[in-house]
Amino acid sequence: MALLKMEEWYDLARETNWTPKYVSEEQLFPAPMSDDHGIPIEAWENFDEPYKSTYRDYVNAQRDKDVGAYSVKAALARADFFKNASPHWKALLALHFSAVCWAEFHSASAFARMTRFSRSPGMRNMATFGTLDEIRHGQIQIYFAYEFLKHDAVFDWCHKSSKTENWIIISLRHALDDIAHTRDATSAAIMLNMGLELAFTNLQFVALSADAAKCGDHSFATMLQSIQSDEARHAQIGEPMVRIMVENGKKKEAQQMVEIAFWRMWKQFSALSGIGMDYYTPLEHRENSLKDFMEEWVIGQFGRTMQALGLDLPWYWDILKEDISSFHHANQIGVYVYRATEWWRPIASTSPAEREWLEEKYPGWNETYGKCWDVISENIRNGDYEKTTPIAPPLICNMCGLEVVGTAGEKWHPVDHHVDIDDRRYHFCSEPCKWIFELEPARYKGHASIIDRVFDGTIGPEPDDFYNYMGQSPAERGTDGYEYRWVDGYDQDQNETEEEKLYATG
Amino acid sequence: MADFPLAVNVQGDYGYKVIVVDDGNTIDEVIQVAVDQIVGVLVAPFPEGTVLRAKTHGAEDPLDSSLTVANANFIQMEALQIYAEK
Repeated sequence: MALLKMEEWYDLARETNWTPKYVSEEQLFPAPMSDDHGIPIEAWENFDEPYKSTYRDYVNAQRDKDVGAYSVKAALARADFFKNASPHWKALLALHFSAVCWAEFHSASAFARMTRFSRSPGMRNMATFGTLDEIRHGQIQIYFAYEFLKHDAVFDWCHKSSKTENWIIISLRHALDDIAHTRDATSAAIMLNMGLELAFTNLQFVALSADAAKCGDHSFATMLQSIQSDEARHAQIGEPMVRIMVENGKKKEAQQMVEIAFWRMWKQFSALSGIGMDYYTPLEHRENSLKDFMEEWVIGQFGRTMQALGLDLPWYWDILKEDISSFHHANQIGVYVYRATEWWRPIASTSPAEREWLEEKYPGWNETYGKCWDVISENIRNGDYEKTTPIAPPLICNMCGLEVVGTAGEKWHPVDHHVDIDDRRYHFCSEPCKWIFELEPARYKGHASIIDRVFDGTIGPEPDDFYNYMGQSPAERGTDGYEYRWVDGYDQDQNETEEEKLYATG
Repeated sequence: MADFPLAVNVQGDYGYKVIVVDDGNTIDEVIQVAVDQIVGVLVAPFPEGTVLRAKTHGAEDPLDSSLTVANANFIQMEALQIYAEK
């Protein structure tokens, strides 16, 4: 039987819709799950995705991608890459896999909601592939990460982390729950696809893939590229949705959705990718800084995409331009000094050579964040390791769940924004985090940050209570990945044998 | 007398930290608690003779050093900047 060519039937198939007979439209597409924003069905049926695929093509393409990714992994399986990798790269792998795997898998739920409840048949079609993509992304990344379990039990956190109350996981889970898992199909499509996938996944998957290849981790690089090719396809769901909203008088609603989601995800990626690119990637393999990448691909390219769709640049764009040079540097200090609260082995990555690179990429780094590292380094040189962890816990933003930070050192500039509701003080790291809260206080005010939980009695008063609450046994509390042997440069100990040296290389 | 959590940012530190003081403590005593926990850990020691003051975040004027936490009209987790007086 001759098959029709795709272009002969594609539009007919993807636009197929029906009028329900046994239930009403409202029962089939209830507003809390669908929310058509009052836009007529004829407009939603104009959904037109740039990249089209049939199910047959999808299956074939995905099979080829899996063959590619898994065969590279199999070919390199006997290489002792992980055993020989530097603590830099091990920290990066642990952070990536334990934060990303479950987040991908959870996204399948959001795409499944779009598959069932979107008003656009074309979008329901595309979201079906998106659902399968995210299941794949969860599976492939957990599978790749589990290869390392025999070397390091930290990779158990790839599966475990989402089920814990670790403060970093609370932060990420809150952000993703807010933009994807507690929104109707229309809002989730715009917020997840525009605010996260289109804006930021290139940062973590393309830039990181390039760094991975330079470090010789070809298995990881291939996996990331394979994942990103799916993202490029299903992230496109957001653009036609925004077009339909703008063309039908709902620009303000679409604008706000993108602004909320973008800022929430910026905070997450500034920690994940910012620390990954500027600190955890071994020095000789670094190319772009977070700032370089953000300026070109996000502030530049994503900004232009927003305007091309008829939206305005977010009101906080100038704040973002400052934040890309500061927030992640401050949070890296916190991630290091509070390393026991993380499940991997954080690294300082502020040896003299690394500080030079940071100063080059972020002029003024040494007189600001570098001043905190001066004190930390001096304590290490004096053997006062206990003094490298503050007794006082950090203040945590009641929106993004990360530390409330400002500028350190000689240009000290403390930052704090707050709202008081019902005799409770809510703190925020930035105006946009506060703005998001104030849009819907009832939505957010019941959430307690990890620090709130210490002081409201949720967490017991003993130190072990805190770690047990976060799911960390003593063996799962982070320690310095280099055992403090970075402070005056990684080659400082000339008496070490080759096996004992810890190089900051991939 | 009761525990009272405050958020403090000591001059030079990268962000706010949460300390627990007694609500009978004076502002000077609050400053000392913050200094004990942050100076020499994240911030270099201040030169001898430095006078440290505290003010609520964003305020123009420092708090009276002898004011107690209980009388300062703070809300729990009030944010205080601790800085060297010029």
